[in-house]
Amino acid sequence: MTGLVYKEWKQNRWFILSMILCGAMPVLFLLEKDIIGDINTVRTFGTICAFLVAGGLQTLVLRGDDRKLWGYWITSTSDGYKGFLRVKYEMVLGMVVLFMFSLQMFDGLLCAVAFDLGTTEIKDLSNISVPLIFVQLLLRAVDIPFTLRYGNKKGSLIKLIYSLVFAIIISAMILTNFCNFSIALFETAEKLFSGDNLSMVFGVFSVSVLVIYYLSYRISCRIYLKGVEQYDR
Amino acid sequence: MTAKKENAKRLGIYLLIVFAFMLIFALFIKPMNASNTVFYIIYMIFSFSPAIASLLTRAVTKEGFRDMKLHLNFTGNLKWYLLAFGLPLIFFSARILLPVIVSGHSEWLGGFTFQNVLASAFMLAALSAVQSIGLLGEELGWRGYMNQKMEPLFGTVGTCLVGGIVWSLWHLPMDIAGWLDGEGTLSDSLMMCVGRMLLLTCFGTFLMWLTKKTDSVFPAVVAHFMFNQSQGALGELLSQGDIPENADLGMIASVFEYVPMILLAVVFMGLLLFEKKKSPETV
Repeated sequence: MTGLVYKEWKQNRWFILSMILCGAMPVLFLLEKDIIGDINTVRTFGTICAFLVAGGLQTLVLRGDDRKLWGYWITSTSDGYKGFLRVKYEMVLGMVVLFMFSLQMFDGLLCAVAFDLGTTEIKDLSNISVPLIFVQLLLRAVDIPFTLRYGNKKGSLIKLIYSLVFAIIISAMILTNFCNFSIALFETAEKLFSGDNLSMVFGVFSVSVLVIYYLSYRISCRIYLKGVEQYDR
Repeated sequence: MTAKKENAKRLGIYLLIVFAFMLIFALFIKPMNASNTVFYIIYMIFSFSPAIASLLTRAVTKEGFRDMKLHLNFTGNLKWYLLAFGLPLIFFSARILLPVIVSGHSEWLGGFTFQNVLASAFMLAALSAVQSIGLLGEELGWRGYMNQKMEPLFGTVGTCLVGGIVWSLWHLPMDIAGWLDGEGTLSDSLMMCVGRMLLLTCFGTFLMWLTKKTDSVFPAVVAHFMFNQSQGALGELLSQGDIPENADLGMIASVFEYVPMILLAVVFMGLLLFEKKKSPETV
């Protein structure tokens, strides 16, 4: 297992370390403070941009292993392809956690500096950054099986097609009010996101994301060898 | 040099570095009080000082960076991760809720509805997975390095006691910061320090057992996170109830403050000794 961790570190260390820089991104946005607005707007805008950039970088660590020869070789080792996939999933989780930590650390520094400069109305950004992190983890839970099953390029394309088809079906159901779908959706959303339920909904969502991430690993284990057969075509 | 002497040397260097950071924290108290930025930077460095000290010691003594217990080791250890999450929560629930219930003030617990409790538990579970990483700054040093060096020198019981005392002494600048800032008395600060010493020594036993059981510092990181966050989560739920401003539970609160943790320490000390006896002796 240590060998696989070493391999991932050597192959992806710059992507992993870039998570620290992504967390510092909102600080860089302060240079443009006058253009964008007040400090809380800058922090919110910077956090969302950092989230997008970090997400992009996280998907890049999935590249490079979609080779038939690698797939056969890693399957024959003592750790097997399951060990390889486990380290991959742990690394992506580690990147998300590192990004979150860096984001909060730099945001804390930014708030301390702002407070010293006389800004007292500093909002707590955790109600934005924490949900974003779980969304990021959910997106990776979807990305990884697609990449492993179809390879990097084809996987992204197939994922895009699935996402578009899903979006079109949902949009069509809302627009045509199929089986009162839009009304049911609106009522459910209204119930779920009322003040009393909000913390419960978010708690359930966060834990569900962790479970989905684990299930994604199990799915990846099942489909990996099928994917290997299709690599290099 | 014998293995024991080598261990003592490494432990000495480690502790010197850790307490040098502590000294820096104490020396910067005034500028820290004057500036939030200085406070934040020094505090962050100080929070990571056990990990920094362990890395520096490994580099200085040319020990290398193996056996840092940085593997997650999920396979077969998921139940211990769950224990790391659940036990601090149960402990703090016992510490905070039992005195209220025993003293007949159940009406204070109005905030503890099924939905609120479940929502808090879910939130803590999710956050312990993504936000606990900051505590690696402590656990990499205390459980991942110091305990390993202490055990051959002081034995298991000695490591729990001495390790716990060192761990709580490291918090001393934070305990006396209020007094140095002119708030509260020295005796209040010292009482806080003694209370923390008892709690941390007991809780450290559980963390040491977790680390040895899983051969990873991450369960200890999760447990440490839960130790810090459970108090806040339970306090928040408690604040939603109808508690009179001058509420005081007296002696019973003091008893429940320490008794559950002492029981926890006794159980895990027993387990540590039992597992040590069971494991084959190495030459």
